[in-house]
Amino acid sequence: MVAVDIIFAPIFFSALVYFLTRGAQHLAKYIALGWFIILFFIAFNWYHQLPADGGFLFLGNFLSVPAFGFELTLQIDALSVAMLLLTAALLILVVFTSWEEKNQAAYFSLLILFSGPIFGVFMTTNVLWFFIFWELTLVPMLFLIGIWGAEERIYAAIKFFIYTHVFAMFMFVGFFLLFKQTGYWDFTLIKEAAIATPALIWWLMFIGFAAKLPLFPFHTWLPDAHVQAPSSISVLLAGVLLKMGAYGLIRFTVELMPATTIQFSMWMLVLGLATTLFAGMLAIYERHIKKMVAYSSISHMGLVVVAVATMTYDGLSAALYEMIGHALVISPLFLLAGWFHHKTHTWYMDEMGGIMKKAPYAAAIFILAGMAALGLPGTMGFVGELTIIISAVKSFGWWIAIIALAGLISAGYIIWSVRRAIHGPMSPIVEKANFTMSFPEKFALAIYAFLIVYFGINPQPIFDLANQAFSFFGGM
Amino acid sequence: MSFIILIAAGLLVPLFYRNNIFIAKMIAVVAFILAAYFIYAGNSLHAIFPYFTTDTATQLMEYVLLATLAAVSLALTGFERPLISQMLFLAGASLAFLETDNFFMYIVLFEVIAIISYILVANIRNFFNAEGAIKAFIAGAVASGIILLGFALFSFTTDSFNYAEMNVSGKFTLIAVAIMLAGIFYKLTVVPMHGWAADAYAQVNHAAAAILSGVIKSVVLVATFKAFYKFLIAYPVATVLIFSFFAIVTMTLANFMALWQKRISKILAFSSIAHSGYALIPFAAAASAYSYAGVLYYAVAYIFMQTSVFLILNDLRRELGVKYLQDIKGLYKVAPLHSLFFTIQLFSLAGIPLLAGFLSKAVAFYAGVDAGLWVIVLIALLNSALAVGYYVWIIKHIYFDDTKSTTTITMTPGSLIGQLILLAGTVYFGIVAGNIINATVAF
Repeated sequence: MVAVDIIFAPIFFSALVYFLTRGAQHLAKYIALGWFIILFFIAFNWYHQLPADGGFLFLGNFLSVPAFGFELTLQIDALSVAMLLLTAALLILVVFTSWEEKNQAAYFSLLILFSGPIFGVFMTTNVLWFFIFWELTLVPMLFLIGIWGAEERIYAAIKFFIYTHVFAMFMFVGFFLLFKQTGYWDFTLIKEAAIATPALIWWLMFIGFAAKLPLFPFHTWLPDAHVQAPSSISVLLAGVLLKMGAYGLIRFTVELMPATTIQFSMWMLVLGLATTLFAGMLAIYERHIKKMVAYSSISHMGLVVVAVATMTYDGLSAALYEMIGHALVISPLFLLAGWFHHKTHTWYMDEMGGIMKKAPYAAAIFILAGMAALGLPGTMGFVGELTIIISAVKSFGWWIAIIALAGLISAGYIIWSVRRAIHGPMSPIVEKANFTMSFPEKFALAIYAFLIVYFGINPQPIFDLANQAFSFFGGM
Repeated sequence: MSFIILIAAGLLVPLFYRNNIFIAKMIAVVAFILAAYFIYAGNSLHAIFPYFTTDTATQLMEYVLLATLAAVSLALTGFERPLISQMLFLAGASLAFLETDNFFMYIVLFEVIAIISYILVANIRNFFNAEGAIKAFIAGAVASGIILLGFALFSFTTDSFNYAEMNVSGKFTLIAVAIMLAGIFYKLTVVPMHGWAADAYAQVNHAAAAILSGVIKSVVLVATFKAFYKFLIAYPVATVLIFSFFAIVTMTLANFMALWQKRISKILAFSSIAHSGYALIPFAAAASAYSYAGVLYYAVAYIFMQTSVFLILNDLRRELGVKYLQDIKGLYKVAPLHSLFFTIQLFSLAGIPLLAGFLSKAVAFYAGVDAGLWVIVLIALLNSALAVGYYVWIIKHIYFDDTKSTTTITMTPGSLIGQLILLAGTVYFGIVAGNIINATVAF
């Protein structure tokens, strides 16, 4: 029963936390922290229970309506577990980094509410329930962005909600069409039916996932949402919500419709490349520190799509690595961008200048994460980009080496940002600002820094997971 | 037995509500519970009169109806006390309406419900109330006339009025039924016969609007589907054409109209019209085995959501004078419980999962897909995505904007219990779909 409980229990927890009295508000974060740690251990436990052959670990069937095949089937494989571990880890760190958020009871109750459906998305194999959880994640996010965000939070929150809801509808139609074709809602059964899927279904799903990812023509919600969200929530958006898009892409287009995916892999490649380069160029142009990070995030997700487009074992492993790497690298950048703004009350990098002298700890971690984002050897960014380039060149030929340009572009915007915001002459704004950082924030940033370097030097654990997840491609 | 109890209680209640509305409310609630018990015990109308039959699906709708009306009567205040006895009569008439299997009784009971609805809106206190009430009355009277005309033509060609023998052939029948449907579409507020509805729902007393738009419409929806089911099957081409056309026009137009509105009650009124559009999809998909499930699910989900939002609006208008969107800025500080219920029900109306609004749409659209009506379902999906725009816009005003007001209002216990009942329905049918789908399998 534990499987279905961890999806639905947060609804009750969050109600409980929401109605904490004013005096007991500070308990909210401890409850949230405790719950997320429990989630992490449960996910870790499942990781050890996974069948060795790369198949699904069956967790149970719930809430069944046989006439419709409307069952909450919970099954996980290595890919889901990777996402679950990542999600739980990020949620724990998010509690640390929002330690002093205002109106704590409401904030942490929404965060707890978010943890239910996001686990559901990665745990269920029933596509209808997948969609249900997918949509449910929007509700807490709407409030988290809309209430705790920056100046233009309301516009951003509503744009985010409507945009992703509309594109999810495409996906939903795609699921319906799949059901019409096979008569199953369950992912594993649809996969076994192995029907020749029409291009329409593939495109409907691809557009649905692409908007979440986000790919180039569908990316416009992201800069607004990420910039206006509070920093910790930007971390969740980049680290978890975007991963839902990538996860869906791998789960549904690659695993379910490999033939159609290969047929359209050129489109995916072109869109992925366009996203990477275009978003990178936009990041160079940005003065706004958080927008720069947001575009850099889009650019990295473009690389993930390029890796998926190769449709090989190597490419998908690289994609999984980059998904995790992206989450761990972008998160401290978002956090620090928000923190710099919080302390200096400006968003613009050219008005910051000289932060290194006043806040060396934060600046050092910003530089480390920035170096990881541009692919410095020894960090997660390097392994991710390298494996993606190798697998892309193997699949598409030497000309694909132009994605190395992405590395150059990111070097451009990262180094220039560091030059403008971190080093350089100290600006009067920074001179006046008071850069004290609370201990939980320092702790969370240290963990990010440690993980970036640890998995950069020792990437094997993630590739082991990938090996288990993509063994259907032949494996190593 | 349940019918008699409801009518008797309806006659009894007016004796009490001048002096003590609490007793009147309790009598009503007890009557609703007893009626539900007797339906459960199998001692409903069909035990006494011929022309009435019952089945699991009808019973389910009856329970839902009685629960909703009980919730409404708990939430009422002294000002709306005449509604209590009207609701008891309405419940009695609706039970008969849902259980009848005869076209003659359908027409008679349709009239009865129409007359009760005129009395519901007749609580005229000012000019705007009068506009809504008179529009509702005149449009309703015209609709009744049209239905009678259609029925007159229809009875030329048929020897029997039984639903079971409705599949009579002939162009004349087709025309007769089309005329009848035009009248029924008035009541279901299908575009282009919706003109009265937005004004009536928005401008009469909101508690009456809750019953008018929430309860009566879902009852008419289910009863109409039962009445015309055989006919819809017999004329597949005409069915698909007529109902798809009206479904598309209704939902699209109403959603766009709702986007323009500044008054909250008008937004909810147009959203109610848009929902009529979605509810026509399973009618168009009568060929599918899931069409009845679609209609029933839609009616069940809709009755909870729509009644709840209008009741909350009623509280807000009474306590805070809320009329326009700008009046609910920062409402969550002023009225936290109202805001919470309002938000959840609006999310349900918008079709966010784990609430009844999502599953009802999913089942209704599934019926459409099952019958091969792809285009309509796609348009409906885009429409429901569009509709999120104005629902979220209301929520935006509640939670994201700041208020200058420092006073807070709390819910009355009756209102709280009523809202909890409606919320329980929304959440229960949002997670558990089995009851409804199993209930309609035998149909």
